[in-house]
Amino acid sequence: MGRPKRYDNIDGTGEMFMGLMILGFALAGYLEAILPENSSRWMHGIVLYGVLIPVLGFGYWVRRVIKKHITWPRTGYAAYPRRGRKSWWIGIVATFLIAAVIAAAGACLMGFARRHDAMSIPRMGMLASIIAVYAFWVFFMCKKDPWKWLVLIFMALGLLAITLIVPGDFIWLSHPALLFVGLVWLGSGGATLYSYIRYTQPPAPEAE
Amino acid sequence: MNEQIRAITELDRVIHEPGRLMIVALLGAVKECDFLYLLHETEMNKGNLSSHLARLEEAGYVEIEKTYRGKVPQTLLRLTRAGRVAFEQYRKGLKAAF
Repeated sequence: MGRPKRYDNIDGTGEMFMGLMILGFALAGYLEAILPENSSRWMHGIVLYGVLIPVLGFGYWVRRVIKKHITWPRTGYAAYPRRGRKSWWIGIVATFLIAAVIAAAGACLMGFARRHDAMSIPRMGMLASIIAVYAFWVFFMCKKDPWKWLVLIFMALGLLAITLIVPGDFIWLSHPALLFVGLVWLGSGGATLYSYIRYTQPPAPEAE
Repeated sequence: MNEQIRAITELDRVIHEPGRLMIVALLGAVKECDFLYLLHETEMNKGNLSSHLARLEEAGYVEIEKTYRGKVPQTLLRLTRAGRVAFEQYRKGLKAAF
């Protein structure tokens, strides 16, 4: 049964957490880019974790607060058992397979593009993976929100525009791409939360 | 009697009732949840849900814990080990029948 799993994101907090995590990666990427070229790996690691740990901690806290004060009083509390390793691996392998298919198709299409540097496989692979992760999420977690497919199209078009504008290798491309994608995830989760608050009401105090 | 047909007669009647089947299926997918969650997901009324839960508790399939979240009363529900086994057997029985 997928419904109890989908309930976890009924308030959009799952998407918002994902958006914050991606924005954390984008921010870390920008900060790493301004480090001196001869910086040690330790320095890069410190920047990455120095950004990611507070961002993830903040995301976790926000999610917890929303669940506690908005979701649980309105539509109830549910705790989930820990996932088995098998289901994680199935998800990861499926995501990468979808990404590979989209990357191949995208690379063929981009062959017609005027900007030949935009059709490198690493760049296309990265963008396709990002789109595939969101498509995977929408397909499995947002069956009641068909408008999310429009968000997916918006994300794909936005990434296409970014790839045509930003030159350089996929590392340079990853900074604006992750920033854009993080904002899209965050916005999508925010819209879900808004809709959830608007269409649900806490029950009367004598509920139980 | 055909084995497949017999499998139908051997289905657990406590779980087989549609309302209780919904509850057990939902509880089977979570570690624990509260009354409000089941109310929202099953779209039953409080009376129906309470009576089904009482029946499941009587059969030893569901554990009900009355607690508080802050100052608000909360009824926590979880499937017992016997409940999980019974649900698994019910699923197997249904599969065998059809």
